[in-house]
Amino acid sequence: MNIIAMFISPFIALLSGMFFLGISRKIMARLQWRYGPPVIQPVIDVIRSFSQMSISHGSLFDFGIILSLTGSFVLVLFLPIGELCPFTSGGLIAFIYLMLLGPLGIALSSAAAANPNSSIGISRKFLLSLAYEVPLLLVFLAVMTRYNTISLVEIVKIQASTGWAFGSWTLVLSGIAYFLILPAILGVRPFEVIKASQEISSGPIAEFGGKHLAFSTLQHALHMFVGLALFVDIFLGGWTLFGLLDPLSGTLWAVILGIVIFLLKMLVVLVIGIFINAVYPRYRIEQAMKYLWKWPMLLSFIGLIIVVLAT
Amino acid sequence: MDRNQIGKWLKNPSKMANKYSFHVVYFCTGCGIIEIPPTITARWDAERFGIIPVATPRQANLFLITGYVSTKTLKAIIRTYEQMPEPKYTIAFGSCPINGGMYYDSYNTIKSLDKYIPVDGYIAGCMPRPEAIFIGVTHLWKLIDMDKADGYKRYREDYEFYRENQEQLFGELNWPPLFKNKGS
Repeated sequence: MNIIAMFISPFIALLSGMFFLGISRKIMARLQWRYGPPVIQPVIDVIRSFSQMSISHGSLFDFGIILSLTGSFVLVLFLPIGELCPFTSGGLIAFIYLMLLGPLGIALSSAAAANPNSSIGISRKFLLSLAYEVPLLLVFLAVMTRYNTISLVEIVKIQASTGWAFGSWTLVLSGIAYFLILPAILGVRPFEVIKASQEISSGPIAEFGGKHLAFSTLQHALHMFVGLALFVDIFLGGWTLFGLLDPLSGTLWAVILGIVIFLLKMLVVLVIGIFINAVYPRYRIEQAMKYLWKWPMLLSFIGLIIVVLAT
Repeated sequence: MDRNQIGKWLKNPSKMANKYSFHVVYFCTGCGIIEIPPTITARWDAERFGIIPVATPRQANLFLITGYVSTKTLKAIIRTYEQMPEPKYTIAFGSCPINGGMYYDSYNTIKSLDKYIPVDGYIAGCMPRPEAIFIGVTHLWKLIDMDKADGYKRYREDYEFYRENQEQLFGELNWPPLFKNKGS
């Protein structure tokens, strides 16, 4: 079972990540009263990029993007997708370590490319990671203290019996804080400072063409999936839906329906994120840092205090 | 995507993907660039054809030259074109890149762009409307289907001819040749 999960869960993550990229482009288009591209457009783009000749800037350039993609794949293995979870140990601690592997790989590539736009983009990427990881750590700490475990599987199981964390009064502030930093994790507006194609010509991926661009698109899709899935796992109860699957528990149908419910929950969070993305302009990097270190930090800190007092 | 195209997709996915995903570098040389914002935004919505603008030539596969080409910008055009990964396509937009247009007697404007970089198709007119871009793109689809959009292959094969023309215009070029000369 574990071996099968190890192959299936990255596959699901990649497939639904690409689907989320497509659906976000379509929804953005409909919000702007356009018809929009077909939903499979990102897949077509990736096939196109793979078929193109790519220009390499040395072995570090190739290695960095592979490292970034691998980091994202490994991250998916630690994530319970429905009831599917290859690595049950590690939990949130693994996420704290591995979440930085994606930006690090892209940074290595961009350093080898020696494009000034990439350098600006990557410095922004690290500043933004620094800005959102402090409230993220506080949120993780609150959740770990509340449920007295670091395991994501355990957290989902406890929520199945006691109700969603987002609905409980102890963790609601942490949930709101995570939702506020979610656009920064996904790299969409108002925190689109990294890619900012109008000012720094798409930033870290400015020198990526052909296969490198395809790999970076896949990495982006996986990163998006991980950011959303973590929110659903920690705060929206993972695969549980008001005890709907209880009569089926233990069967294969429960696993499959659990994955479907999980992906639907992610879709709902994503659509709300896209609405925010569609109406807001872009922050400058110092405004983004100021915002992230003020409101989500304050909320997550108060949330942590409430959790400590309540338990 | 039509259902009757699935056979084509299975047969040659890279060709079909190249058809339906144009990442475009718009080279704003002249007045033609005025027609581009309505094309890519809500009024005409180029994204439904899979056409989106990208910021760098590395990520692009379609090069749209909008308007007259002065001698100074031709240098930038050549370098941008050489940075794009193959396969790549070029469309010249407006009458000026075809034969000089209203700048036919200007001392500083290129009369025929096709002498310096290979052009896959022209959209004639002064100015062509955004619909003309879509007609041009659908025509480019047909050319790709018939393997006739071979500008990048021609550039590779006849590089000496293009390089000679470029050197004739600029004198000494301050970048090395893209391809090694074959016979000589």
